[in-house]
Amino acid sequence: MDLVQLQRQLVDYRTSLYHEGFLDEQFTQLQSLQDENNPDFVVEVVSLFFEDSERLLNELSKALEQQVIDFKRMDAQVHQLKGSSSSIGAHRVQKLCIVFRNYCEAQNVEGCLKCLQQVKHEYGIIKTKLESMFQLEQQILNAGGSIPV
Amino acid sequence: MAEKPFESSSSSESSPILLASSMDTTPLRKLLHGISEFVVSSSTCGKKTAATRGRRILHRDVEREEFQYGGGGSGGGGGGGHCLSSYYSVFVARLAIMVMLAILIGLLTVLTWHFTKVYTTKSLNTLAFGLRYELLQRPILRMWNILNSTSEITTAQVKLSEYVIRRYSKPTNQAEQVELYEMMKDITWALFASRKALNAITINYKNGFVQAFHRDHRSNNTFYIYSDLANYSISSTESYHNEMLSSRKGWNDQFIHGNVSAIWYRQPLDPVTGEKKGKPSQIPPDDLINIAGPSQVPDGVASWHVSVSKYTDSPLLSAALPVWDATNTNIVAVVGVTTALFSVGQLMKELVEVHSGYIYLTSQQGYLLATSTNAPLLKNTTKGPKLMMAVDSDDRVIRMGAQWLQEAYGNKFPPGHVVHVEKANLGGQHYYIDSFFLNLTRLPMVGVIIIPRKYIMGKVDERALKTLVILISASVCILVIGCVCILILTNGVSKEMKLRAELISHLDARRRAEASSNYKSQFLANMSHELRTPMAAVIGLLDILICDDCLTNEQYAMVTQIRKCSTALLRLLNNILDLSKVESGKLVLEEAEFDLGRELEGLVDMFSVQCINHNVETVLDLSDDIPKVVRGDSARVVQVFANLISNSIKFTTSGHIVLRGWCENPNVCSDSGKFSPDQKKPLSALKTKLKQHGNHTKKAGKKDNKMILWFEVDDTGCGIDRSKWESVFESFEQADPSTTRTHGGTGLGLCIVRTLVNKMGGEIKVVKKNGPGTLMRLFLLLSTPADGVEQQGRIDFSKHSVAVILALHGSMGRMTMLKWLSKNGVPTLEASEWNELTQILHELFHARTLDSGFDTHYSLAEPMRSKVQSLQEMKNSVYIIVVDLGLLDLSTNIWKEQLNFLDKFSGLVKFAWMLNHDTSNAIKMELRRKGHILMVNKPLYKAKMLHILEAVIKESYVEPQNRSPNGTKGTSKEGDSHECLEIDSTQFETCSSDDSDETAGASSISSVHIREESREGTILKSSPSTLRNCLVEFTRLGLDQCNTRPKLHNTEDIKPENPDSPEQPSVRSNAKDRITNEPKSLQGLRILLAEDTPVLQRVATIMLEKMGAVVIAVGDGVQAVEALNSVLDNDNEHRNNQVETEICDSPPYDLILMDCQMPMMDGYEATKAIRKLEERTGWHIPIVALTAHAMSSDKEKCLKVGMDAYLTKPIDYKLMVSTILSLTKQSSP
Repeated sequence: MDLVQLQRQLVDYRTSLYHEGFLDEQFTQLQSLQDENNPDFVVEVVSLFFEDSERLLNELSKALEQQVIDFKRMDAQVHQLKGSSSSIGAHRVQKLCIVFRNYCEAQNVEGCLKCLQQVKHEYGIIKTKLESMFQLEQQILNAGGSIPV
Repeated sequence: MAEKPFESSSSSESSPILLASSMDTTPLRKLLHGISEFVVSSSTCGKKTAATRGRRILHRDVEREEFQYGGGGSGGGGGGGHCLSSYYSVFVARLAIMVMLAILIGLLTVLTWHFTKVYTTKSLNTLAFGLRYELLQRPILRMWNILNSTSEITTAQVKLSEYVIRRYSKPTNQAEQVELYEMMKDITWALFASRKALNAITINYKNGFVQAFHRDHRSNNTFYIYSDLANYSISSTESYHNEMLSSRKGWNDQFIHGNVSAIWYRQPLDPVTGEKKGKPSQIPPDDLINIAGPSQVPDGVASWHVSVSKYTDSPLLSAALPVWDATNTNIVAVVGVTTALFSVGQLMKELVEVHSGYIYLTSQQGYLLATSTNAPLLKNTTKGPKLMMAVDSDDRVIRMGAQWLQEAYGNKFPPGHVVHVEKANLGGQHYYIDSFFLNLTRLPMVGVIIIPRKYIMGKVDERALKTLVILISASVCILVIGCVCILILTNGVSKEMKLRAELISHLDARRRAEASSNYKSQFLANMSHELRTPMAAVIGLLDILICDDCLTNEQYAMVTQIRKCSTALLRLLNNILDLSKVESGKLVLEEAEFDLGRELEGLVDMFSVQCINHNVETVLDLSDDIPKVVRGDSARVVQVFANLISNSIKFTTSGHIVLRGWCENPNVCSDSGKFSPDQKKPLSALKTKLKQHGNHTKKAGKKDNKMILWFEVDDTGCGIDRSKWESVFESFEQADPSTTRTHGGTGLGLCIVRTLVNKMGGEIKVVKKNGPGTLMRLFLLLSTPADGVEQQGRIDFSKHSVAVILALHGSMGRMTMLKWLSKNGVPTLEASEWNELTQILHELFHARTLDSGFDTHYSLAEPMRSKVQSLQEMKNSVYIIVVDLGLLDLSTNIWKEQLNFLDKFSGLVKFAWMLNHDTSNAIKMELRRKGHILMVNKPLYKAKMLHILEAVIKESYVEPQNRSPNGTKGTSKEGDSHECLEIDSTQFETCSSDDSDETAGASSISSVHIREESREGTILKSSPSTLRNCLVEFTRLGLDQCNTRPKLHNTEDIKPENPDSPEQPSVRSNAKDRITNEPKSLQGLRILLAEDTPVLQRVATIMLEKMGAVVIAVGDGVQAVEALNSVLDNDNEHRNNQVETEICDSPPYDLILMDCQMPMMDGYEATKAIRKLEERTGWHIPIVALTAHAMSSDKEKCLKVGMDAYLTKPIDYKLMVSTILSLTKQSSP
């Protein structure tokens, strides 16, 4: 494929991600931190985020299946998720986490379940989106081009 | 009236009433009857009207009552139907109480009446009965006496006659016969004379001869009546006897009445002696008195009867007895005795005279025998007088009594004829009627006494009636009053109940409203982070975008517009959030020392820029007694004044805005010197006063260092209508709704001001002002630090013989300054325009002005001249001329000539130039070229003036140093202050953070201001700590290179968003510069990062590493503490082994970034632990909190456990760097 086209595609894709609110400026900051010393910084952090989030989401699902739900612990976990998602700029996940935390505080099981589903959904979306973006970047890099800023 | 409802009641409550009414029916009936009978017409009418009046009073109740009782009354109950349903329960209660009351009162009345009446009546009746019995007994006794005496006389006569006749029995001849008669006559006379009461005695002999004595009581004559003796023969006696034996009956009558042929004679006698007084005269048989004949004694026993005679008008009682012969077989004569019953009547009359009433005696047949009246007892008929029946009596009462008796009993009298009637109604009146029966064998008699009831019971009845009437009326009154009272009482109670219920519901509603408002506030307060962050992001991104060079002009304009709108939105957001924060009680006022004067000066500087465009003068007028350093929340204080001043600016188109401040202190306030300090007062007095004040504040500070500071914001704007003075402080309230269009604004500003002022223990209000505009006055309760109230070491200007000429445009500022200067002993002149200035200069330095091209024909006013002269007299004085650049004619090139003109005086005077913020560089350059190095920005206030003076004074001492580039000027206070002219603003920011967090807000304001003013201003005022020294700028050309910094103006609209992170915007732009300039700003720093979230940990690590820092990352609080601990242990070993103290001196880490929420041990705990560890070593490793909470309370919590700063997630790159720098700078310079 044409390199230029690929690059444009990447830029468009990234813009759409910003535009649709999947990502925010934090991701930009993240990208700006990436340099020659840490060429894969973004990918590294994002995969860290994936790992962490998956762990947290699993724990949350388990916690919600329990008879007695430890809302305090859940609250802490959601807080963590919120922190990490905000750090990579996964905006939608972060927003949902805020709602989720409110439900946790209110000890609203139904709300929590609903939120968990939504968070999972959003997480899935951002994961695929980011992965496809990384793929695009990889393609560009493989094609010998540079990633446009 | 009262019982009417009782009787007619039919509702459920009526059963007791019915009971009562049935119980009381008889007395009540009687009562009613009595009333209706007694009170005939007029009083009844009165009662009716009274009743109707009562009805009207109780109209509603009556209606209700009637309704309740099912139309017991006049059927007016239908009207109250609708209200009945709503007040049903109240009515029932009321009615029940009223009915109870009525029953009680009714019972009371009846009982009282009963007891008073019945017992009296009973005893009286007993007495009356005795009386009546006694009364009747006496005439009857008299009657009895009369009968007795009559019978006695008769018997005596008979016995005597028998005796005499026996003696002369068988008279043989006429002579003996006559002798016998004579004898008989004597005897009879003796008897007759002995009894005066006798009416007559008659002796009728067998042979028909009659002898009689008669007394006429009327004429008081006594007669002797006899028949003609000649006609009677003795012989006929025998035949007569025989005849009599054979047929006794009819003998006498025939004999007396039929014997017409007999001649009767009447001979008047002397009533006493019995002697004959006249000749016997013949009388017709008609005139004869009753002569008892044998017919009256048919059985030969005594007989009685009542007879009449024409000589007396009273009935006569006649008794007849036969006289037997010696053998007791033949009747030889019949003796009759007649007694008048007159005396009985007499007695009766006497009795009746004493006791009223009527008495009469009748025979059993009903013939009247005697009455107590004068009515005739006999009636005249053609056959002569006859006895009268009682029923035919002329006397009305007797007749009616008799009739009544007859009607009541007819002929069937009770046994013994004894009747006692207490209430016989005779002709409309009540009488007692009693009758007694006197049973004589031949003459049964009945005595009747009729006594009017009135006589005995009259008073009692009357009293009883009166009592009853009084009782009833009293009861009715009590009832009415009671009902009214109940009505009023229940009305009051029900009203109170209603009010109470209303109040409760209101309270409830209010509580709910408050709760909901509270929820709202809390929600908003909680949302603060979520709301501000995106706004900050928007603005930040816009800033970046504006910096972008590839924008077209249109795009740039649009982005700028967006930027402005966002700023406005953020401001609004901040206002609302502030308000809600205060309302929800989440606002915690900080308690930190700050320089109040400096804050306000910064504020005025900031606003003056805005004002100059508006042609409005901003003046700061703080009195000297305001303490320099106070404790409080500087950001909030500044916010108060910022709001007030911006509000004033909004509504002021021309004139001035004055911010005045003074301290409430009895010593100072008493001379009312706050606005117009007395200029004539000797300087020494003023000084002592100041000293006193100093002492006073010191003392006060030791005891209670709270101070009341008064402020006024005075403008010459459109003013506020008096009626709105209170409401302008309400939320979303503006004095005039139309102003929203013209001036914009949300109306939240003043509301925030008031809540803040109240929170600070003060008050704000609009006060009356002379002239147009608004005067807002407020006071704040701020505490002064206990130790730091020492008066600033002030230069005594009077010693230095300094004189000032103020050549300023703004009259208000000039005046204020003038006053202050004069107060401090600096002789001052003023000029408002160029010509005036030249005039003054001309006067002062006469010689020089001669060749001035600007010499004017314009002469000074007399007082000015004298002042000038007084100035002239001051030898060796330093003249300072403060010149407003606006005095120069800048529109044309004349200003250069004017400058030249002023230059001529440069040796004699010092010029201080007041610059506008937009003064062009060319002018400044020109000024500098000319050697005018004292330049300050408008507005001129106390501190600036002070520094001008200080500078000039110092300059005059240290002349040569004046113009050196690194002018020492007045900066001796801080050793490093010479650097401050060169270090960029970021360092000022950090400096300010070093100083204290509390002044951050202020510094941010001034830093905002920085960008609004020219570059010089920026540097000079950026740091509060150096502000004072930099106020006066000693111009160095080298500084100009600073002006080349681009883009700083772009952030000019950024306001302090939030006291939590006030430096954010300003620092951001600066940090941005820094990043580009020196990327490795954190080179060599060792940073411990405690963060549990791997993503964040990684991001932060990279960020810090990029800056050149060495990062040690740990996963939780425990690890963080351990990491430190292990280093400490190593450190201790080191200390043991090595003498070198390098590591000992410096802590293992330069800084710790601490996440607040971590597993195992959270940030707070970890910080506490670390601080504990540090105690041994004496280090203080700066700890910066990382938290996702944006509330001020979180910040508080962080700082409380010993953290030094506070960063919010997501980590803002630049903010983090600046924070770290500011903290590490201190510990490792």
